[in-house]
Amino acid sequence: MKATILYEQGHQWIMYGRDVEKPEKIIDTNQYMMVSGNRALLMDPGGIEVFAPMLGAILHHAKVDQITDLFASHQDPDIISSLGLWDQALPHATLHAPWLWEGFLRHFGMENIQYDAIPDEGSSISIGSVDIQFIPAHYLHASGNYHVYDPKAKILMSGDVGAALEPIDAPLFVDSFDEHIPKMKMFHQRWMPSNRAKNDWIKRVRQLDIEYMAPQHGRIFKGDDVKRFLDWFEGLEVGVAIK
Amino acid sequence: MSAQTKHEEDKLVALASIAAELYSVMSIAWGVSLAAKNAKVISAQAGENGLGFQPITVFIDEISQLAMQGVNDINNEALRLTKIAVSQQRSVDAYLRFNSVRTHHTDKRYIKSMTPAMERVEENMKHMTKEFKKSLNNLTMYLEIMDEHMLSARAVASVSRIVTSNAKEYKDKLKVVADSLEEATVLIKEKISDSYIHLNSVKAQSDF
Repeated sequence: MKATILYEQGHQWIMYGRDVEKPEKIIDTNQYMMVSGNRALLMDPGGIEVFAPMLGAILHHAKVDQITDLFASHQDPDIISSLGLWDQALPHATLHAPWLWEGFLRHFGMENIQYDAIPDEGSSISIGSVDIQFIPAHYLHASGNYHVYDPKAKILMSGDVGAALEPIDAPLFVDSFDEHIPKMKMFHQRWMPSNRAKNDWIKRVRQLDIEYMAPQHGRIFKGDDVKRFLDWFEGLEVGVAIK
Repeated sequence: MSAQTKHEEDKLVALASIAAELYSVMSIAWGVSLAAKNAKVISAQAGENGLGFQPITVFIDEISQLAMQGVNDINNEALRLTKIAVSQQRSVDAYLRFNSVRTHHTDKRYIKSMTPAMERVEENMKHMTKEFKKSLNNLTMYLEIMDEHMLSARAVASVSRIVTSNAKEYKDKLKVVADSLEEATVLIKEKISDSYIHLNSVKAQSDF
């Protein structure tokens, strides 16, 4: 599992992914961790199959008991099916996740971890010295869905928005936006069901100061490419499976 | 890891099979209970000729009630065992994955911070093993009790045959009750015997 430090000024953002040893038929995922002082927030920690490489990679940046908080943008298995294992590794942690999915997420096995149900309008928490916002992204693609925004680091962890399906050795950052479009077009058109939800999210996100937009699959958008993505996404027709 | 995981799956299947085997006993026992109630009516109609059969109908009814209670106890214990087995499987899975991290990431700065989590999982595995053994013993005991009930039922069925021979014109009707008790006993014994096979399979896997 490859680890890349995205931000390191007082607190850290680390991206984990591009795991060359993952089983071939499992979709590659990006996991993120934010470390501030003696606390850490693990975002969309991944499926059961990536648990061991993920934990191994994390132990370079944080101690096990330093991971006090987990976040799940939604309920998909590639996001959080490892929950039952984290539950045994981090019995005192809190999982921040959509209120809508609590009864579903508990099917992954959660006997120890506390559940912080994020309300529809979103919420915010403090991790060490950093205030983190949970930004609503409902129906993008799950009916209860949030992204994580760190105003200090100017990073938006954008879940499945901005995701692209690419080979395991793809670069970490978008280097040419136009060339990147074909890699993410079908994903957004098919997985995102609602133009209204999409435009509502774009309106909300345009108000944020974003340097990095970090999706759960594919490459990270940096600087001007964030605005390019929002413009492109705004013009994109989604929910195309309904003819 | 895969052999161990497969092993746990087999244990779960064997436990579910015990519950399934015994579930059918419930309807058989219910049928016997109805037959016993019917026999009570027949023996009452038979007057003096049915006197010998009347206390037997009470025994038959009692045995069928005990069999139904026994099925409930066995089902509840099998369910408890299944839940423990699932928790055990989760702990084993977590332990193996934690161990894989400990083995393959020795160079990581905070690898030692894994120790408390591993100790906790190990402790949990020991606790689950203890609970599993306790519950397995209970299940064995419930099956033995059921087996004993069936021995009593066979004895009652034999006595019924002797008594029905004195019941004159009601002889055939009461014989049907004795026969149904005999058949039910044989069927339930078969189910118990099959359950023992599943139980032994669970025990063998637990010694793995």
